[in-house]
Formats: sequence, C-alpha cells, structure tokens
Amino acid sequence: MKERIFSVVYMFFLTLVFTSVVSLVKHVNAEKIRLNEEVKLQAVVLDALGIKVRSGPLRNEAVTALFGERVRRSEGEGRAIYTGYDETGEEIVGYAFPAAGPGFWGPIQAMVGVDAGVTEVVGVSFPRHSETPGLGARMTEPQFRDQFRGLPLRKSGGDAVYFRLVAPGSADRPGELDAITGATMTSKAIERFLNRELDSFVAAAPRSRTGRE
Amino acid sequence: MNSIDPGTLFFAAIFTNNILLTNFLGLCPYIAISRDLRAASGLGVAVVFVMSCTAVLNHLIYYHVLLPYGLEHFRFIVFIIVIASFVQLVEMTVERYFPALYVVLGIFLPLITVNCAILGASLFMVIREYTVVQAAVYGAGSGIGWMMAISLVGAIREKLEKSGNLPRGLEGPAITLLITGMLSLAFIAFSGMIQIQ
Amino acid sequence: MPAPPPNREIIRNGFWAENPIFRHTLGICSTLAVTNVVANTLVMDAGLIFTMALSSLTVSLLRGVTPTRIRMMVQMLVIASYVIIVDIMIRAHLPDISEALGPYVGLIITNCIVMGRCEAFARSNPPLPSFVDGLATALGFSSVLLVIALVRETLGFGSVLGFRVMPAGFTPWTIMIMAPGAFFVLGLLVWAVRARFPQVFAAPGKR
Repeated sequence: MKERIFSVVYMFFLTLVFTSVVSLVKHVNAEKIRLNEEVKLQAVVLDALGIKVRSGPLRNEAVTALFGERVRRSEGEGRAIYTGYDETGEEIVGYAFPAAGPGFWGPIQAMVGVDAGVTEVVGVSFPRHSETPGLGARMTEPQFRDQFRGLPLRKSGGDAVYFRLVAPGSADRPGELDAITGATMTSKAIERFLNRELDSFVAAAPRSRTGRE
Repeated sequence: MNSIDPGTLFFAAIFTNNILLTNFLGLCPYIAISRDLRAASGLGVAVVFVMSCTAVLNHLIYYHVLLPYGLEHFRFIVFIIVIASFVQLVEMTVERYFPALYVVLGIFLPLITVNCAILGASLFMVIREYTVVQAAVYGAGSGIGWMMAISLVGAIREKLEKSGNLPRGLEGPAITLLITGMLSLAFIAFSGMIQIQ
Repeated sequence: MPAPPPNREIIRNGFWAENPIFRHTLGICSTLAVTNVVANTLVMDAGLIFTMALSSLTVSLLRGVTPTRIRMMVQMLVIASYVIIVDIMIRAHLPDISEALGPYVGLIITNCIVMGRCEAFARSNPPLPSFVDGLATALGFSSVLLVIALVRETLGFGSVLGFRVMPAGFTPWTIMIMAPGAFFVLGLLVWAVRARFPQVFAAPGKR
C-alpha cells in the first residue's frame, strides 16, 4: 500500500516538474511563434499581390518592412482585405483577401490577389492545407498556381463560375485550367471554394472597380 | 471544417491514404508480426477497435478540454495517456473473455500503445480538423486499412518463405520492406477512382 | 548490477551492431515519412538525437527512485516532454520546416527505439553511459535516414538541400518523393547491408 501511494505521489510530482518545464519553454518561445505566423501572413499577402520581396538573409525584416510600406489592412464584409499600393503609396495596385474552404483532407487556406480594377486575378497562394503530398499538395507548386495569374474575373457565356479545373491537357475554352494530376477531389474542392470566394468578393466590392477607396 | 462525407473518408482512409502504406505509420509491429497471418488479423481487429475509440475520445478531450484552456501543446501527452489506458482496458477484457486470443497476441497487445499509427490517427484528426463523426470514421477506416496492409504482406511473406530461395540478406526486414513498397505503389492506383482521391 | 561497457564500445554498438534499422528494423515508422527532403530529415535527426540522448540520461538519473511498476509511464512522460520541447523549438525557429514535418515530430514519442533504449539500457545503467548510448543509437539511426534522404531527394527532386545537383535534362523520379520510394530505398539498403555483413546482423530467425 505504501508503495502504491509513493508511486502515485512520485508520478504526480514528476508530471508537475515536466509539465512546468514544457510550459516554460512554450512561454519563452510564444512570442517568436506568434511573430513567425505574422511574417508568414505578410509574405503570403505580398506574394498574392505580386509584390516581390528580396530574398536572402534578413528576408523576414524585408517582408515586414515592405508590408508596412505597401499594404493597408481593412475589414470588409467580415473578412480582412489587404490593399496593396505602389512605391509612391498613392496608387492602388491590387487587393488581396483570404479565402478558405474545405479541401479533401482538411481545410485549405488560400490568399487571392486581384488587380485594382477587380478585373483579373493577380496571384493565388495556398499557405495552409492538409492534402496528400505528391497529389493534392501540389497545389502549392508554381505550375498550378501560375495558371491563375491573369485569370479574368469574368464569367464567359452563361457560366456560373470564373474558372474550371479540367483534366490536365484538355483545357481549351477560356476559363479552363489544368487540375492537379491524380488529385481529382482536391481539385474539385479548390474549384468549388475558390469560385465561391471570388464571387463573394467581387459582389461585395463595387467601389473597388474604380480603383479608388 | 471540411465537408468530406463519412463514406468517402472511410474508403479514402483504407485505400488512398492508407495510414501504413501512405503515411508510414504502424510499421514496427508490422514487420515483426506479419509472418503469422492469424496473429496479424487478431492484432488488426484490436487495432481497429482501439483506433476508432481513441480517435473519438481524443477528439472530445481536445475540443472540450485542451483547446478551451489553451493547453493544446499538451495534446501529445494527453493523447498517449488516453491510448495507454484504453489499451490496458482492452487487454484486461481480452484476457478475461477471449483467453485463447490473449495467448496468441502475447506481448503485442501492450505494444499497441506505442503503435505510432494510433497516436498518428489522433494527431492527423487534429490537424485536419475533423468532426467527431469524421474522427470515428477515419479511425475505423485507418484501422481497417492497417489491418489490410498487414494481412496482405503477411500472406505474401508466408508464401515467399515457403518457396524458399531468397537471395542472401533479403530475408526478414528487407523483403518485407520491398513488398510493402510494391503494395504502396499498387495502392496509389486507387487515386484514380473518382469517388476517392 | 554489472558494470556498464566502456563508452567506446557503446558508441560502436549504437552505430553499427545494434543499429536499430539494420538490426531490428525498428523505429522507422514515423521517421521514414520525412526522408523525401534532406533538410527536413536533418531537422528530424536533430530532434531524435536531442530526445534520445536526454531521455536516456533522465531515465538513468531517475532509475534509483522510480518504482518498477510505473517505469513505462515515467519513460513515456520523459520522452513526451522532450519531444514537446523539440516541437516548440522547431515551430519557433524553423517554421517552414515545422509545417512540412507535420505530426511526425510528435510521433517521435511512439518511436519504438526511443523507449526501447530507455528500457533496455538507460534504466539499469549510470547516467553518462546511458547518455552516450542514447546519443550513439540516435546517431546511427540518423545516418541511415540521411542516406535514404540523399537518395530520395536527389532522384525525386534533382536537388540536395534545395541546390540542384542533377543535370538539367534530368527527369525527376516522382516515385521517390512518394511513399513507395521510401520503402524501396530502405529495403534495398537493408538488403545490401545484411548481405554484405551477414555475421554482424545475424539472420532474423524467429523475430
């Protein structure tokens, strides 16, 4: 009986010690982790807006600096909107907004950049997803993402969507882009939520069409 | 939040995202036990049960206890304690009601605790933000997928070993790995089916 | 309690004769997944070495007081704590790699080798030899993973650590990036080593 009590007390005490150490480490690093998340978001926004960041050491600082100079964050329709300005800070070069939707294996987070007149897509990136590596995860590759550059935000001929993802190599009509090889479900998921998000953004931003706030 | 219907998720967990053949989890006991088909299937059933139940349990604990109190970084410890306790429970039950099975499984029952696949299923469940129903289905599907993989390789190995004549150095782990590789390759073919990714 | 073997022997053992992959083929579960990119593998290796060395050390330090009944739970607690620390550090200082590693860092906890060494060696040996044992085993283990990663990234991406190493006309072998590639490379490696040194890694017998 005495041994049992000792076991329980020992275990309890040990757990206390270790969880305290772990919590301490977490606390010490919490700020850095938060900072990382922030810089990542900024980098993703800049990428979607087509604003190039100088790579190499001190990239994080460059990202934050550039973001501070050229991007303004605002809220609209319950979502964050990042307005990108040119070097002078006067003219709007485009807007970036976060889009999210269910993927096949988990939620996919995207950042979409459109031009100032909201007439075409400037870029799209997928900072977060849980799709299968080698299949759905290839959405992050330039080969797939670059297809969206210059995609007109126009629905051609009675279509209800801005773009469709079709079997790679068979895209022939405007608005048809190559899906990801072997990743039918992920491609369908992306098609669905990205079109929906583009719809809602375009509909809610009539003032942006003139390129002025 | 995602909208995969449980049926598709179930089949995907077995075929296209097989926790062993695609995610490399659960290999240890696999290599050791896959030579005995009967023990392998027995272990497989236990794994299915443990995986489904712990996925659900861990889901509830994560979303109702850990997250609300900002303790997510302790999920590793908590999940594994849940799994260990649950396996203990299963072990006691099997010993009491299915003594023959208990003798066959021997040491492997407590080894389920360190079966990376079980912890892995819970961790994936968190990353992919499944609902409770999805967690249950994913756990069950993954368990069945694991069992399938282990049985397939076990069967092939049994045959290979009976026919003898493996080149030197190939017997045991090496051939198991190569067979698994081919099986993994074969399972990729399932990704072409339209209702499964 | 018998005296522990000299440190030099421990190192040699951990690296070669008792190399977890060649000898027992244990511990590959979770770690194989990250071997398609060398950078990720190096980070995973660092995490493994840190965890194994310190876990063995800690378990050894506690071996005098730990009741035998609960020793496995204690080992698990120790290992899990170190793994969480590793996870936090990677997320803070190497965020991109952290995302690529996904749940696999956490899975070091269930890695049979980590607990295996604690159980087989650390709980009945003094701290310094235990530390060396954990370190050597982890190093042996990591080297194999590194070799696999070098093959997989070179053939699958044409690069190593992000630097292109294959000639421009090279078509990457995508299979190497995916699961089967890992199994094949490891399988061939194990075969080669066991065929070349059969006496060191005795035939598996009835494992």
